[in-house]
Amino acid sequence: MAVEVRLPAARKRGSEVLLPETNRHLVAPGDTITTDTGFMRGHGTYMEDEKLLASVAGTVERVNKLICVRALKTRYNGEVGDIVVGRITEVQQRRWKVETNSRLDSVLLLSSVNLPGGELRRRSVEDELAMRDYLQEGDLISAEVQAVFSDGALSLHTRSLKYGKLGQGVLVQVSPSLVKRRKTHFHNLPCGASIILGNNGFIWIFPTPEQREEEAGGFIMNLEPVSLPDREVISRLRNCLLALSTHKMMLYDTSILYCYEASLPHQIKDLLKSEVMEEIVMETRQRLVEQEG
Amino acid sequence: MREPPLSNCEKSFLLKAIREGKRLDGRETYDYRNIKISFGTDYGCCIVELGRTRVLGQVSCELVPPKVNRPTEGIIFFNLELSPMASPAFELGRQSELLIKLNRLLERCLRNSKCIDTESLCVVAGEKVWQVRVDLHLLNHEGNIIDAASIAAIVALSHFRRHDVSIQGDEVTVYTPEEREPVPLSIHHMPICVSFAFFQQGTYLLVDPSDREERVLDGMLVIAMNKHREICTIQSSGGIMLLKEQVLRCSKIAGVKVTEITELIQKALENDKKIRKEGGKCGFVESMPQQWITAFKVEKAPVDVTDVEEKAEGILSRAEPPAEAVSKPVLWATGTAQIGEGLESSWRDMEEEEGQVEDEDDEGAIDDPTLAVTQNIEMEDISGKEEKKSDVDVVVLSDSEEEEVIILEPEESRIHTRSKHPADSSATKTTAGKKKRKKKFAL
Amino acid sequence: MAGLELLSDQGYRLDGRKAVELRKIQARMGVFAQADGSAYIEQGNTKALAVVYGPHEIRGSRSKALHDRAVVNCQYSMATFSTGERKRRPHGDRKSSEMTLHLKQTFEAAILTQLYPRSQIDIYVQILQADGGNYCACVNAATLAIMDAGIPMRDYVCACSTGFIEDTPLVDLCYVEEAAGGPQLALALLPKSEQIALLEMNSRLHEDHLEKVLDAASKACRDVYAVLDRVVRDHVQEVCTLLGE
Repeated sequence: MAVEVRLPAARKRGSEVLLPETNRHLVAPGDTITTDTGFMRGHGTYMEDEKLLASVAGTVERVNKLICVRALKTRYNGEVGDIVVGRITEVQQRRWKVETNSRLDSVLLLSSVNLPGGELRRRSVEDELAMRDYLQEGDLISAEVQAVFSDGALSLHTRSLKYGKLGQGVLVQVSPSLVKRRKTHFHNLPCGASIILGNNGFIWIFPTPEQREEEAGGFIMNLEPVSLPDREVISRLRNCLLALSTHKMMLYDTSILYCYEASLPHQIKDLLKSEVMEEIVMETRQRLVEQEG
Repeated sequence: MREPPLSNCEKSFLLKAIREGKRLDGRETYDYRNIKISFGTDYGCCIVELGRTRVLGQVSCELVPPKVNRPTEGIIFFNLELSPMASPAFELGRQSELLIKLNRLLERCLRNSKCIDTESLCVVAGEKVWQVRVDLHLLNHEGNIIDAASIAAIVALSHFRRHDVSIQGDEVTVYTPEEREPVPLSIHHMPICVSFAFFQQGTYLLVDPSDREERVLDGMLVIAMNKHREICTIQSSGGIMLLKEQVLRCSKIAGVKVTEITELIQKALENDKKIRKEGGKCGFVESMPQQWITAFKVEKAPVDVTDVEEKAEGILSRAEPPAEAVSKPVLWATGTAQIGEGLESSWRDMEEEEGQVEDEDDEGAIDDPTLAVTQNIEMEDISGKEEKKSDVDVVVLSDSEEEEVIILEPEESRIHTRSKHPADSSATKTTAGKKKRKKKFAL
Repeated sequence: MAGLELLSDQGYRLDGRKAVELRKIQARMGVFAQADGSAYIEQGNTKALAVVYGPHEIRGSRSKALHDRAVVNCQYSMATFSTGERKRRPHGDRKSSEMTLHLKQTFEAAILTQLYPRSQIDIYVQILQADGGNYCACVNAATLAIMDAGIPMRDYVCACSTGFIEDTPLVDLCYVEEAAGGPQLALALLPKSEQIALLEMNSRLHEDHLEKVLDAASKACRDVYAVLDRVVRDHVQEVCTLLGE
């Protein structure tokens, strides 16, 4: 059994390697953004004595007359239409509480899920009593944000066949600010696995299902054993995601794919070492820059 | 049991009064409540009353081996207990935040400031020292526990006498009070805590907050000083932001207050010494006054009567003529008679009154408490208004499984303050669908 | 203590600093990946680590939820190996409860809690090595951690301890200077508006000297702010560069 020991080494700062762009206005809490009263204030700012002050550390974003400060790392702030992956924390009367890495637990109403068998009918008392058979505490689901309550809690729905309870796979938790908002968040990667990039920073990697089953609303989990090559692909993807998130790269299908390809020469478990992580992230960055250029 | 929350109107009333510089018990901003100190029969026992807040302090001592890293110093131990006797909000056994805060403040105020000479408590270096224990019990909570507790602690310590000890070579003899007079502790100075309560983010300041004021304050500053104007402890608590000038001002006020209180303490101690020397009766029983009500006397409340006449004229001119008094009694049967007529029964109108809001119009009446003002307030329900909002348990046939959450807005009830004309009143009484409510205030 | 001069005639302290000099401050933000915000600070030999979780749904009793603000939940603990003598410190003891209350009070005033009704923000601070100025290091570390978590604050909260020896205020006391027993003042300040979030003083100090000591403490807090500000800006710059967009 081999044990790896490494001595502490000075961290390399990312800004030494990349060119810092100085066109962004960076602020810290308490900094005055502007004394001009003509601006509307957005998130991350507060008014005091006719001055607009920042309340978080981040970049100033100005859209016409709206000034807001976007923090580098925040909890997930949901918007209508986002795809989220969440875990059930509570089963209440006619609703489930879902933990989605936001400041309040999200709500999944009984009326917002598909009944097994795909029936379209009014939810009855029996449905209420059978809620626990559909989703229990600890289950993972993928859902879409339907609405935002006034206190900031999200209302989710799974009224589509692509959402529902998740079966076998691997969950990776990253910061929500690293997941880019795209047209689609469900990807079937050519390397042989599928991925759901939740906007709330929860990423689900799972083996590609063979055929498109018209299952009963996403409640039946496929519990057949997954083959070894599939598992290896999934593990490699997971380690790539961790590498990308450690180096604070934006996550979307292209970057994940490039990272996967850059990691192929290495063994899966070596991907967790910091030197290897740096190498593959560097390669991924280069390829992305080339692709854009 | 949890303390019932202070109602919003009480809170706003207190804050409004503070804004105008008035306090509920009539004190000025920098005034303390009456401090009363009484002693028990034993040395080292005292009760301090700050207004109605009462703290009992008891000092005891015993010989113990000293702490390892301080072999020549005695040990002083403070403990404050908040029992449910003081306030139902205090629960026995649970160490709440308040308890920790008060205990730590007392410890810092009295121990770190070295008010007691611990070296003098040493009997045999490294083997035996006196451990002095100060136990404080809160008997009644009417605000500002810390001030009362610190006064009680220092008074009890000053009052306390420990057994006399003599050392001959290796032998240590502890004398009982009968053999030799007990010896007082050597106290360098008397630190007293003064609390300042801040309201409205530090704009308004009050000294010695009472129980009600404590519940609406934003933050508190406690400064412990002795009469030599040395600050022993400063502690700010609560969520307020202070400015340097405020802190300096508070320390000056504290200096003045502490001098007054120290004088009071000295006087009380001397009094007690005199009584004991003369052999008079001492103890709590003597100091508790007989609280018999033999005569009921209310102090004259000062009333502002500068422009009473003008105000009276104005109100009289605006007021409508008084209603006709129905004087003739009507005899219904033997033993049953009726004088006048009551108001119309309003019981059957209950269901239609859900959204009605009553308002009280107080203008002009409070300033003159000596003047009896009769005001009539009338409210009318306009019949055209929709009074029925959808009730809570309506069955809505929709897909949503959610119970309809209906937020009841307070209806915009139009309040009319009309002068009542007798002719109109009889006419409107009979009109269907209209309700009236009359209220008379006599102040 | 005989022979131990806290302030020499030339104005040098035990570790060679002048009366108004701070110890060397080194800080790092974002040390833990799984926490929402984390920071590590070293003030001389005092090392403190702060971790922030939140804002999140209130765990445990729902009754503690405030309908209009977030609840700030703090915990202060000292590692058993942090002092010269290894001492096991149970969590509920009075000193750490007092520190916890002070931290909570400080940050409840500084964080804009009105933006997060019915949520909870957890701040956990651990002292890894205690060499004086424990509370102040905790406050500074927690400020950085809260900023790392993206929770809006009114302003930085900078804290510094001050002592008073021979008519001179000494800034940023180390353990030996604290144990000598002279007056000590711990001040937590919001530097821009000069508002005092927490003021704590022990031992006897004459009222006339109070202003001098407060001034020295405020100046020291502003110096701490300058250092922390630089750390924050560097970190923000670096992360922005890495994020790239």
